[in-house]
Amino acid sequence: MAELTIALAKGRLLGPSIKIFESLGYELRDARDSRKLVIASNGARFILAKPMDVPIYVEYGAADVGIVGQDALRESGTNVYEPLALGYGACRLVVAGKPEFQNAEWKMLAGLRVATQYPRVTKQYFSARGLSAEIIEVYGSVELAPMVGLADLIVDVVDTGRTLRENGLVELDEIFKSQAAFIVNRAAHTLRANEIRELMEKM
Amino acid sequence: MGVMISQPLDKQLPHGVADLFFNDAARKRTVERALAETFARWGYSEIIPPMFEYHESLAAEAGPQLREEMYRFFDRDGRTLALRADFTIPTARIVGTKLFDRAMPLRFFYIGSVFRYEEPQAGVRREFTQAGVELIGANTADADAEAIALAMTALRAIGLNDFRFTLSNAAYLLATLRDLALTEADDAALRDAIRRKNAPALAQLLDALKLDATRQRALAQLPSLWGNADVLGRAICINDDAHATIERLRAVVARLAQFGLADFVTLDLAENRNMAYYTGILFEGFVQGLGFAVASGGRYDNLIAHFGHNIPAVGFAIGVERVMMAQRARASIAPDVIAQVYDARVEQARARGQIVEVDVLNRDDAALREYARVRGARAIWWRDGHVERLDTDKR
Repeated sequence: MAELTIALAKGRLLGPSIKIFESLGYELRDARDSRKLVIASNGARFILAKPMDVPIYVEYGAADVGIVGQDALRESGTNVYEPLALGYGACRLVVAGKPEFQNAEWKMLAGLRVATQYPRVTKQYFSARGLSAEIIEVYGSVELAPMVGLADLIVDVVDTGRTLRENGLVELDEIFKSQAAFIVNRAAHTLRANEIRELMEKM
Repeated sequence: MGVMISQPLDKQLPHGVADLFFNDAARKRTVERALAETFARWGYSEIIPPMFEYHESLAAEAGPQLREEMYRFFDRDGRTLALRADFTIPTARIVGTKLFDRAMPLRFFYIGSVFRYEEPQAGVRREFTQAGVELIGANTADADAEAIALAMTALRAIGLNDFRFTLSNAAYLLATLRDLALTEADDAALRDAIRRKNAPALAQLLDALKLDATRQRALAQLPSLWGNADVLGRAICINDDAHATIERLRAVVARLAQFGLADFVTLDLAENRNMAYYTGILFEGFVQGLGFAVASGGRYDNLIAHFGHNIPAVGFAIGVERVMMAQRARASIAPDVIAQVYDARVEQARARGQIVEVDVLNRDDAALREYARVRGARAIWWRDGHVERLDTDKR
């Protein structure tokens, strides 16, 4: 059988994820050099992918297991197991906008425009509340959108809230809290049950 | 669409369908023939429901997700028709309206296209081929075990020997949730957390629901109740029905052991699929090299009653495109033969179209045998001319 394939989300989760696997005896010095995408170590194969891609790799079985933020996981809408929350990478997905939208004023607005990197979660959030929102998918610097009139609101992850404040935005509602999650492909869960159980117990 | 692709519509193909020809078409028919022959040998005869019928009958007990995924259209009288989205519901209609007074059990198999309006992803297409069986009129552990054993035998018949099945019982969760007046949202969130084995989210939900302690423990441990038959001993049964569902699984596993198939089963009590009509055992089959199930099925005792007669049934479907993907994944990794040295046999075999790998690392015998096993080769040709057949079934 091929080696166990583990997908790790790049970005802010990567450092702590590497530490976990190093403490389990894997040699991952190469993973810190971000140009390398596949690293073989101690009978396992690590692949480094963009956070939004990790759930996809795992759902298709290209990776057996993975570590990814719950925010990217929810956005991906993939059918995978998520047995462990790992405690690091805490952040929150929030609705934010200019201060004049406080006091729920924004819920009164017809033709709301929302900029986000999380179109799926955003759509669910607004339609569950009966609000018709036009969702504008942007690929970075979401805070810019309300400042230049591209959108009324944004949906984005916040850590300390500093970026929001610096751009004159305030948090209006919290959609969910997120942290790093250990996810497992459904086929691998059965086909490689022992390896995965062992790994989970060690983690 | 874009600037670059300005093909007229009559040359494009909609999302989620495919043209098959040459090898792919031939391989598909080969798979279908092998499956049909296997089903027939177990006493199943073919059933061919229409490609479309009234949406009302197909939507029966289909569950919100499947109902949403149906292709619907109108006939000239303005009635809503739908393309079949599976074979189980049409078969239930045929049995409930026409065959209910026949000697039971009825054994049917089917092969054909089904249509679902889904986002093409992870092995999902909008038109895909299902091959499966329905065993109707028997609510016994023997019937459950026959369905699982036949699914495994069918995979073997098409060369997929390295399968594993998950086995659960939808009735266990139903019994454990009985008499809880959960809101629809809570119920959905609870089932979703269990299905995804999301233990932390499940614990949070259960805390908020303030259930009695035993029930809370029974539900909270579900994400960890997977593995061999020991799992059944750890399940907490809060009522007789829950207990009966566990006993049923025990009986099914015992029957599978008689077939010599119990080792291929992982019990997984957290499985609860989105298909509304399942009432008993649930199973899914996986093979090496493919990240999603190639076979899935279960017991549905209330579906035929919707069509007028209360008759229990169990069945499964194999995804034909998915097993073809698995076969292809296999073909690309497994050589037919590993030869220790290059000789005339190698050249002749390659000329016949066999895949022959020659060792270039001068491995010793043990290392080469291990390598051949890992690669899934069917034979090793040793330097002295000896041919060693490898038992690929046991891998």
